[in-house]
Amino acid sequence: MNTDNHGFKKHLLRHETVLLLVVAVEWFYFNSVGPRFGSLDNSFDILRHSVEIGLLALVMTPIILTGGIDLSVGSLLGLCAITFGKLWRDAGLPIPVAAGCTLVIGALAGGLNATLITKLRLPPLIVTLGTFSLFRGLAEAITRGADTFTNFPAAFLFLGQERWLGIPAQAPLFMIVAVAVWLLVHRTTLGRSFRAIGFAPEGARYAGLPVERRIAMVYVLAGVVAALAAIIYTARLGQAKADAGTGYELFAITAVVLGGTSIFGGIGSVHGTLLGVAAIAILNNGLVHARQPREVAGMLTGLLLILALSSSVVPKMLASLRARRQISSANIHQTKPA
Amino acid sequence: MKKLISVLSLAALAFAAGCGKSPDSSSGSPESGKKLIIALMPKSKGNAYFISCKKGADKAAAELGVELLFDGPTDPDPAKQNEIVENWITLGVDAIAAACENKEGISTALRKAKAKGIKVITYDADALPDAREFFVNQATPEGIGYTLMDEAARLVGNEGEFAIITASLTAANMIEWQKHIEARRSSKYPNLKMVALRPCDDLKDKAQSEATALLSANPNLKLIMAICSPAVPGAAEAVKQAGKTGKVKVIGLGLPNENKRYVHDGVTDSVILWNTEELGWLTVQAAAAVVKGQLKPGDKSFKPGATEYEIQGDSILLGKPFIFNKSNIDQFDF
Repeated sequence: MNTDNHGFKKHLLRHETVLLLVVAVEWFYFNSVGPRFGSLDNSFDILRHSVEIGLLALVMTPIILTGGIDLSVGSLLGLCAITFGKLWRDAGLPIPVAAGCTLVIGALAGGLNATLITKLRLPPLIVTLGTFSLFRGLAEAITRGADTFTNFPAAFLFLGQERWLGIPAQAPLFMIVAVAVWLLVHRTTLGRSFRAIGFAPEGARYAGLPVERRIAMVYVLAGVVAALAAIIYTARLGQAKADAGTGYELFAITAVVLGGTSIFGGIGSVHGTLLGVAAIAILNNGLVHARQPREVAGMLTGLLLILALSSSVVPKMLASLRARRQISSANIHQTKPA
Repeated sequence: MKKLISVLSLAALAFAAGCGKSPDSSSGSPESGKKLIIALMPKSKGNAYFISCKKGADKAAAELGVELLFDGPTDPDPAKQNEIVENWITLGVDAIAAACENKEGISTALRKAKAKGIKVITYDADALPDAREFFVNQATPEGIGYTLMDEAARLVGNEGEFAIITASLTAANMIEWQKHIEARRSSKYPNLKMVALRPCDDLKDKAQSEATALLSANPNLKLIMAICSPAVPGAAEAVKQAGKTGKVKVIGLGLPNENKRYVHDGVTDSVILWNTEELGWLTVQAAAAVVKGQLKPGDKSFKPGATEYEIQGDSILLGKPFIFNKSNIDQFDF
C-alpha cells in the first residue's frame, strides 16, 4: 500500500462518498432515460415527496446514534395529523394555533417514549413498538377509522402544494430542520454525547454525562418533528386521515442506515442520512421516468442497503481471512523443516 | 478503492438489470412518435379486481394505439396515489384515469393535473366532481336491483318464495339495492314473494347460519338471493350441506373466484357483478376520446365501438351488470 495518498483514499472510501457517487449514478442514469427526469419541476417533486420521510430520518439519526430506535414516528405522524384536523375543524382553532398545539402534542408523545425508556429502563425497540400501535390506534379511535379532515383553507394548503420564491413551500422548513439537526449532531457537545452514549452508555455515565436526559431529548425532538411532518403532510394532501404516514418509520430507518449510521449506535452522520433519503427518493421517482414498475424500487432499495452494509464488513472479513491464512502458512513453513 | 468499484459496479448492474426488460417498445425516444400516453391507476396494484380491469384496458390501448401506464399503491399510505399522480404530471402524460381510494386527498393532485392541461377521468370509485371530467360508473343501483330480480324470476319461473341475505339492514347501498329489487318485483313479478330479509354483517359464517335457518323455517323456499359478496358462498355452503342443491337456487352479488366451486357444483346459478374487463376497456376508451376532443362535457352518449354507452350528467354508464355462470365464470380470475 502506498502511504502517500492514504488520507485521500480514506476519504474516498468513506461511506458518504460512496453513497454520493451512488446518488450521482442514479441521477445521470435516470436523466439519460427519462427526458423529463432532470427538469426543475421533477426535482422539486422529488424534494416535495421526500420532506416528511426526510424529516423523520433526520431526527431518527440522533436516536440511532445513541443506540436507540423509534418505531413510533410514522404512527405519531398519523395521530398528529388527526389531532391537527380535529383542533382546527372541531375545536375551531385558527390554523397557526392548531399547528402549535399539534407540535406540543408531538413533544408530549415523544416525552412518553422518553419516560418509558429512561425511567423504566425498557428497551427503545419494545417501548416504541408499543407506542407504534398506541398512537395509530388512538388516531383510528378518534376518527373511528372513517372520519377525515378536508377543506383546509388555501393559505394552509400553500405550504404543501405551492411554491414560495420558486421552490416548494415546505422546502425551507425542511432545510431549517436539516441544518439544525446537523449542527446539533456535528457541532455541539450534545451531539458528541449522543455518540458517546451509543458507543458505551455505562462509560458515558461514568464520564459524568446525564445519559437519561440526553436520551430523553432525542425522543422528544423526534416527537416534535414528527408533528411538523404531520402538518406538512396534511397540507400536501389536503386531507388528514388516520392512516397517514403508514410505514414511514421503516423508510426513515432505512434511509438512516443506508446513510452509514450504525444501528448499534456511536457512528453516523446527518449528511449521510440526507444522502440516504436522496438515494431512495431518486430511485422511487426515477423508475417512473424510466417506465419501470415501481415495485423494483423496493427491491433495489433493499439491494442497495445490503450492499452498503456489506461494503463496510466485507473488506474487514477479507483482511482477517488473509491474516489468518498468512498465520497458517507461516505455521506450515515453520513445521515443514521439522 | 476495491470496495468503491465493487459497490458502483454492482449498483450499475442492478440498474442495468432493472432496465433490461424495458416495456416501452415505442422506440428509443418517446417524444418522437405522437403516441398518446394514458395513465391508469387502480386503488391498489395487486388487487385481482383491478388486474382484471387492466386486461380490458390493455385491449383498448392496443386498439387505439396508445401507451398505457398502469401504476398504483402497493402499500396502504394514503399519500401514495397523490405521489403517483404528481409523477405522472411531470412525466407529461395526456390523460389520467383513477380509481380513488381517498376521495378528498387525491382530488388535490387530480386538480393539479387538470390545471396542467391533463385530461382526468375516474372509474370504479369517484373523486370530487370538480377534480375530473367524467366518471365511468360501473353500476347503478337500479341496474343491480333489476338484474338480480330478473335473474331470480328467470330461475324459479316467475312464482314462488325467495329470501334475501343482506350485509346489514342499515347500510345505505344495501337499502338502495333492495328498493330497486322490490320495485322490479312488484311491477313485473307479483307472484314472487319475498319471505325473509336477513342481515349477515358481511360475514360468510353468519350468512351460512342465516341461510341454514331460512331453509328449515321456509320449506317452500325456492331461491336465496345474497346481496353482499361474503353471503353468496355462505348461502351456497348452507344449501349444499342441507342437501338441497338444485331444489333451492342461490344467486347473488359477488366475485367470481370465491363462487367458482359452487357454480360448477350446480349450487349457485348466477353471480352478478359488472364486467371488470369492459370497465377497464371503457375507461381507456373514454380517456383517449376526451384527449382527442371526441368526448365532451354535455354529451349524452359515447360510442367507442359496437355498443353505445349512456351518459348521465358526467357519469358514463357501463350498462347492465354482468352475469357470471357456468358457461363463462372460468374466464375471469378475481
